[in-house]
Amino acid sequence: MIFNNLDVEAYDREYEDRELVRRVAAYAAPHRARLVIIALSVLLISGLSAGVPLLLAAGVGRFDTPGATFPAMLVAGVFVAWILIWLGNYLRRRLTTRAIGDMVLSLRRDSFSATMRHDLAFHDRYAAGRIVSRITSDTQDFGQSVALVAELIGQVIEVVILAVVLLRISPRLTLIVLVWGPVVIAAAAGFRILARYVTRQGARAQADVNAKILETVGGIAVAKNFRRESTVYDEFLDVNATAYAINVRRGFALATVFPALNLLMGFGTGSVVYFGALSTIDAGITVAAWFLFLQSLERFWFPLMNLSAFWSQVQVGFAAIERVFALIDHESSVVQTGSESVERINGDIRFESVRFGYGDGTQVLPEFSLHVKPGESVALVGHTGAGKSSIARLVARFYEFQGGEILIDGRDIRSLDLGAYRRRLGVVPQTPFLFSGSVADNIRYARRDASDAEIMALAQTVGDGEWLAALPEGLATDVGERGSSLSMGQRQLVALLRVLLQKPAIFVLDEATASIDPFTEAQIQEALLLILKDSTALVIAHRLSTVRAADRIVVLDGGRIIEEGDHMALMSAGGHYRELYDTYFRHQALDYRPKPKPEPVQEPA
Amino acid sequence: MAQSEFVVERAFRTDRSSPGRWVRSHVLRQGWLIPIVIGGAFGNAALAGVVPVLIGGAMDAVSRALEAGDGMPSMPAVTRAAVLIILSQAGRAVLQLARNGGSELFGQRLERDVRDELYASLLGKSMTFHGRQPVGDTMARATNDVRELNLMFNPGLNLVVGSSFFLIVPALFAYRLDPRLAAAPTVFIFAYAIALRHYLGVLKPITRDVRATFGRLNARLAEAIDGVEVVKGAAQEDNEIEAFEADARAFRDAYVRQGEKEARFLPLLLLGLTIGAGFWHAAWIYFEAGSTLSIGDIVAYIGLLSMLSFPTFISLFAYSQVSLGLASARRVLELVNRETELDQNKDGAAHRIEGRIEFEAVEFGYTADRPVLTDVSFTVTPGQTVAIVGQTGSGKTTIARLINRTYDVDKGRVVVDGLDVREWSLEGLRGQIAVIEQDPFLFSRSIAENIAFGRPDAPQSEVEIAAREAQAHEFIERLPDGYETVIGERGVTLSGGQRQRIAIARALLSDPRILILDDSTSAIDSATEDRIQRAIDRAAAGRTTFLITHRLSQIRWADLVIVLRGGTVEACGTHDELFATSAPYRRLFVRLGGDSDLGAQSFGPGEDQVGGSNGGGPR
Repeated sequence: MIFNNLDVEAYDREYEDRELVRRVAAYAAPHRARLVIIALSVLLISGLSAGVPLLLAAGVGRFDTPGATFPAMLVAGVFVAWILIWLGNYLRRRLTTRAIGDMVLSLRRDSFSATMRHDLAFHDRYAAGRIVSRITSDTQDFGQSVALVAELIGQVIEVVILAVVLLRISPRLTLIVLVWGPVVIAAAAGFRILARYVTRQGARAQADVNAKILETVGGIAVAKNFRRESTVYDEFLDVNATAYAINVRRGFALATVFPALNLLMGFGTGSVVYFGALSTIDAGITVAAWFLFLQSLERFWFPLMNLSAFWSQVQVGFAAIERVFALIDHESSVVQTGSESVERINGDIRFESVRFGYGDGTQVLPEFSLHVKPGESVALVGHTGAGKSSIARLVARFYEFQGGEILIDGRDIRSLDLGAYRRRLGVVPQTPFLFSGSVADNIRYARRDASDAEIMALAQTVGDGEWLAALPEGLATDVGERGSSLSMGQRQLVALLRVLLQKPAIFVLDEATASIDPFTEAQIQEALLLILKDSTALVIAHRLSTVRAADRIVVLDGGRIIEEGDHMALMSAGGHYRELYDTYFRHQALDYRPKPKPEPVQEPA
Repeated sequence: MAQSEFVVERAFRTDRSSPGRWVRSHVLRQGWLIPIVIGGAFGNAALAGVVPVLIGGAMDAVSRALEAGDGMPSMPAVTRAAVLIILSQAGRAVLQLARNGGSELFGQRLERDVRDELYASLLGKSMTFHGRQPVGDTMARATNDVRELNLMFNPGLNLVVGSSFFLIVPALFAYRLDPRLAAAPTVFIFAYAIALRHYLGVLKPITRDVRATFGRLNARLAEAIDGVEVVKGAAQEDNEIEAFEADARAFRDAYVRQGEKEARFLPLLLLGLTIGAGFWHAAWIYFEAGSTLSIGDIVAYIGLLSMLSFPTFISLFAYSQVSLGLASARRVLELVNRETELDQNKDGAAHRIEGRIEFEAVEFGYTADRPVLTDVSFTVTPGQTVAIVGQTGSGKTTIARLINRTYDVDKGRVVVDGLDVREWSLEGLRGQIAVIEQDPFLFSRSIAENIAFGRPDAPQSEVEIAAREAQAHEFIERLPDGYETVIGERGVTLSGGQRQRIAIARALLSDPRILILDDSTSAIDSATEDRIQRAIDRAAAGRTTFLITHRLSQIRWADLVIVLRGGTVEACGTHDELFATSAPYRRLFVRLGGDSDLGAQSFGPGEDQVGGSNGGGPR
């Protein structure tokens, strides 16, 4: 569990072992029949594997017996045992894979559904990458540990069977074999610690070196531009030499493991040869039994070396499944009190003394009231942290608020059927998000029943469809991962068309700040105006053209409204809005020229 | 022509004619490490094979003594065998250590040398190459692929060599016991090779499936979680869950198929059958064929056969490591060998550029079937500031790349000061053109060194002048060590705008005649924008400047505006001309001006309603 501390999240909880076993058992229950067969085949394999040395030893015994004949039965026995071992192994692995595959599948389904249910406060707080790794890697790790543990149990059973047989033949010689056990376990554990240490040390150094190598590669183009190749080459040689030194040191440490284990094995074998001979000579065991002990030695060591891995593997598996369960069990804080149907919405939004904070003690909205009339468009402006996005996101019911009321058409937002309500909502986040697929797929994301013709007609309404001409395959163009084959502007257009297709009653937009070529930007504005025309809109505005187009500008500071009005009125008032304008919007004006520097600068010749 | 721009003199040259030969020449270079690895591997296997033989000897001694009535006299022989076993294993450990260490050195040196070779070759390649080659791809080859080559030798080939001796030694030693006994292990070697080959062939497509389905599962999952705001906003949770389950099921199916094939691992059965067959063969020789085989020989033989289990299990891993390594070798060598077909024209013109630039009916495409620019013509007089505007993909960046000859035109001409760019010496041309990228690269060195990168001998005073011109002096002074602050150290990171201004200072210090500036990033606030624009104004003074920009205000003040649309020049002229003649251009200003406080008539120069005026119109 040493590594696991790294990815502890606040929603993690400790389950009691019994609880954990009960939960895991519930996932295993559907595969009861398979598990029984797996257990039986493990027993069969272990028994047969222990049997092979016995058969071989018996064979050797026959050679040693004067007047013996060809041991046909024994030879046949060895063949049959090996074939059965292989078949048993086949059966075991086949069924294990299926059982694990299915369990992992159910775990993934459950954890993903839970993740989709969690509210945005959860998603804001916890990095997507880590959630993904719980759903994919942790479930897989758990499955892997189950498989490994099953295998180790098989090996241990084999050792126990052999040990019982050996004890019955010669307790003294068995003791000699077993005495090495603790030594081997200790050595294996020691090497595990060494390996972990050097790997971790190495990984850290390697990360540094990799970063430096990446930099030297990244700098090539600049170096060539200024003809400074030899400088960066010298720098590269240094970095490369450091990487080499680190790697060699780590490699040498790990290179000692197997030689040391082999040396130990030499001592073990030597001792069994010596004491085995003594037992054969004076304690009356046969040469065949002596041979059996020698064969057993190796069969003992292998599982023993693995045994120290066993516990850590069990721990890894349990820690992994614990993380998955924590993800599943986390409770969403957005709770609906009812599920009133939402067929039509006029778009009247009323905040009444709403209190809201993100749960870390700070109040984002201490007591916020705002009324947005149906069809009105409101631009929210203010410095970072003024509470703009909180207001927008509360309307989308992404977060739970702590006091006051939010009323949609006069009805408590908590009493609505959430899915139905959100279908009447058009939400565009600051970084427009596209899913892999075509442009058309993305436009119809919120309304999957929309026909191609409908989408085409809609696409034509913006800038006479000129933006489609810039796409290699028009609406069928693949947008790439997260929309990477589209420009930022095109992505925004698609995100707006998605909303336009929805014809939402309420439109919530967190405007993008990315810079976009003016032609695309003009089309984005067009699409925006089309949406604003028919919907009640709450817009976190970053663009001058958008604030100008809004019916009302609400200036926020510390979660309170400090000014209201339209652009012209607020500008001439010369108050807070004027100040914000000078900070964030001034350079977007068409007649912008940079302010000269306060102190005089020398003019270029 | 294929003259390299940078060459490292080396005593050793590698054979780059094929990946196999290339790897071989790197291997041969390691000299004394080769016999250590091979010798160590053989010694390791041989000394492992000595153990069963010694055991057999001890058993024979005891068994003969017992037959004679008293076992005790055999004890000295037993003791000797036990001691020899321990000593042989100590020797084996030493050899193994030497082999592992040698192989470790081998792999690491290879990684170091290959990376060195790759890096030096990258430095030797033309700007054209670097203009075209994606940096991310180069980085992947310089780190991951080079690392794979290391792993291909250690543990990959190390294990291949080691495990093949574990196949050979049993056969050899069995032959010495009785030539006939070599049969079973020899047959195993061949049967095993065939079975392994078959297994790898069967497994390959399935492994690919598993990887592909997992990749898809992961990618779509990450997408759904990253885009959770959109998913929830559009009430699409159920659809996403359904899609996820389909992906997860596809992976589960591939995983189960893989498990099934792995369960059918034939070499394991072969190993069992070989031990059975060997046992039968030994018994047959002993009882039926009449021989001098002793019981100790049989014991030794069984011990030798069980040595085969090591290669049975290990070679799978070893072979896949080697094939991964070969694929990486191919990728690295491909990069090393890639030629850049641009003529350097070393004897071409190299005099000072005035800055007159003409495009004459230029046509160009990155691939033959898809022209990016068609029939592009315009003329820029020395010292002008030119704004290039157009939608993403309209060909703005391509125009810049044709000027500094990252690419050559397909048709038409690009002319600088009356000479076709191909008549200039490449170095003379590029030395006078500075390109400032959207996201400029800075080295993890001091700020002063970064600014003086093109002129390392520049005195501090000139560095500071350049920084002042680029509006960077003030923020540099505020950094903990001023100009000596090392970028990236002790948490010193620079914002996009600051990086851009340092890049401008770097370009200014080398005093280019033509400046190409990609300014399509956006400043969050007006004060930052002020600084960037002042820097650009300074930089543009006295030199021909191309601005790739999104800002209407910048476009407005430029001496010349080129509007690109779908790879052709839609309109070209001053702002006033375009405003009067081009409807799309005018529409742009009207639409983005909103219901504007600016009427069309007020687009005159020098007007500034809000900020202070700097009193300057377009130059």
